[in-house]
Amino acid sequence: MTTVIMRTTARAVVPIILVVAISLFFEGHNLPGGGFIGGVLTVTAFAIIYMAFGLDFLERGVLGRDVDPGKEHSRDRVVVAYRRLFAYGFAIAVASGLGPLLFGEPFLAQSFVMLEGVPIYDHLEVASALAFDFGVYCVVVGGLLTILSVVGAE
Amino acid sequence: MTAPPVGTESQLVIAPMLVVLIAAVGSLLLGHRPRARAAVSLAGGAAYAVAVAAIDWYVVLAPDAPGIATYQVGDWAAPFGITLVADGLSAFMLTMVAILGVCSLVFSTRHLPGGEGRSYYFPLFHFLALGVTGAFLTGDLFNLFVWFEVMLMASYVFVAYSGGPQHTRAAFWYVALNLLASAVFLLGVGGIYATTGTLNMADLAQRLADPAAYGLEPVPVVGLLGLLLSVFAIKAGLVPFQFWIPTAYRAAPPQITALLAGATKKVGIYAIIRLSFTVFAGAEVAVDLPLPVIDAAIAGDSPLPFVGAALFVMGTASILLGGIGAVGRDSMEGVFAYSSIGQVGFIAIPVAIAATTASPELRRFAIIAALVFALNHTLAKGLLFLAVGTVRAATGTSRLNDLGGLASRSPPLAIAVFIASLALVGIPPLSGFFGKFLVFDAAARAGNGPAIVLLLAGSLLTIAYATRLWNRSFWGARTPAVEAATVDPVQVAVLVVLATAIVGVGVGFEPVYEFAQTAAEAALDSEGYVDAVDPQAADDLLGSSGGEH
Repeated sequence: MTTVIMRTTARAVVPIILVVAISLFFEGHNLPGGGFIGGVLTVTAFAIIYMAFGLDFLERGVLGRDVDPGKEHSRDRVVVAYRRLFAYGFAIAVASGLGPLLFGEPFLAQSFVMLEGVPIYDHLEVASALAFDFGVYCVVVGGLLTILSVVGAE
Repeated sequence: MTAPPVGTESQLVIAPMLVVLIAAVGSLLLGHRPRARAAVSLAGGAAYAVAVAAIDWYVVLAPDAPGIATYQVGDWAAPFGITLVADGLSAFMLTMVAILGVCSLVFSTRHLPGGEGRSYYFPLFHFLALGVTGAFLTGDLFNLFVWFEVMLMASYVFVAYSGGPQHTRAAFWYVALNLLASAVFLLGVGGIYATTGTLNMADLAQRLADPAAYGLEPVPVVGLLGLLLSVFAIKAGLVPFQFWIPTAYRAAPPQITALLAGATKKVGIYAIIRLSFTVFAGAEVAVDLPLPVIDAAIAGDSPLPFVGAALFVMGTASILLGGIGAVGRDSMEGVFAYSSIGQVGFIAIPVAIAATTASPELRRFAIIAALVFALNHTLAKGLLFLAVGTVRAATGTSRLNDLGGLASRSPPLAIAVFIASLALVGIPPLSGFFGKFLVFDAAARAGNGPAIVLLLAGSLLTIAYATRLWNRSFWGARTPAVEAATVDPVQVAVLVVLATAIVGVGVGFEPVYEFAQTAAEAALDSEGYVDAVDPQAADDLLGSSGGEH
């Protein structure tokens, strides 16, 4: 798979996918999109990197770490990081649900603030649902990347 | 939109779920520190028990308790938002699960099977408990589907947990079957939404009771209820949907099998009772079955006789197949797995009686019988599966051929298993006696001769397999495996606690009966359920502009 065409395409496509994923994530609370879809799309970007450059590329090429070739891939530090992302994302989602209880509102209740006169955007909506969505995003990215990298190595 | 006043009772409804969620997050974040992980899990289990006890007291049992409390998640009013409802029936079921869940959790801290997956054991345990809790508390049909999935996701992993070829094989069939069941569930839910325009259970009950006012044609609901019943029967393990049970129960770690038999099976039973009696009982649908399965009372103006006939057939087959199957098994968990199939039959028969009878008095009594029997099954079968775990941890085997003389090796273990076996058989003064007595009484009051004969046959089979298991593994000469065994004291202590609970429920049966009675009344009180959820409030909100809301 690692032809020149594949690698060149990956370089062009991956940034576009990531930008679309992030925009989907940000508009999820009142338009089609959200943490789940944004997360899945982000994972496809990682999948393309894995396919084009190999499983060790993130560890060696991006993060500049040495990879012990004899070691099981599921013990890699990047995979440990994926798992941690999963756990933290889950914690953020639960915490965002518990937050409203502090204000005497029911579990998972949401609110939003409209900011007017913001530069470039003019008016910007800040929604508390974004915190929950962010948690979901982390769970999806962490969980799917763990599966992808562990199963991909076997 | 103003929320209804969020009182203490209302807050309590969601408390068990939040506690389990927090415990799951905590044990997940502490994945790399085994001691802290176990400590957080135990604290979560204790908090869960406290939360359930608080629901029991403040919502259901206290003299000035409201009897039912609701919670609107995310401040979205019913019927659009997700409603959580805690009433007598939910509280009774939650209590059973809390007792067994805490025992299984303590047990798990002593003996964790598996290698690399070990750090995910406790989070998954909490997710399993979360799914069960959510299913008992939700007042929304689609949300029930979601909680079923949460429960299943965790149990998939547990069935495959040990990682051997036979575990993977069992997990594959388990996943395949349950995916099919989920698809059928979704089909039924979709059909009900298409037919009635709502999935909120209270709203559903209200619309079905008066279809003309909402312009509904409720006839398809009977068939859709049949679809849902088949899904719940798979969860409960009723024949002909029992085939996954023996392999899945053997593959999962024993302390999880205790929960699968004691808790997730009861979710199936609970869903059958809740949907049939609280939601669909009021539906005005003429049912006229040509089969004279039970007696002439099969025709009626609600879907209940249909439910009753189906449950009667499935319960009969379960009692016979479970009992006969259990007699011939060659391992402890095999005997108990088949025994579970038979025991669920014993729960299905009184539910069937309740569904077919025309007398409200008998209907209430039969549901009490089913609930008390379910409680006994949870305690006794939970204890027995935990005992399988103890024996397996001590001797390395649970095959009857390799066991013998366990009674002299560990008398407390033997006494606990003996008490649980007697409870299965139904000897006074244990909880099992009252369970079985009430079921027989319900059948006798219904004047249902075939049912009594069937229950007698099932009881004889229970005596046969319980005796056989006892003789083969606890009496006789010690085998080499038993001779070399060291029994874990904490695990045995958990078994003794459960055995004490079995005796305690039997000796102090009066309050348990009253609790079950409250639960049965809650299950039958469709109007009270609708009033508490009040799905009309949101309709008013939409209909009237500038109303008081």
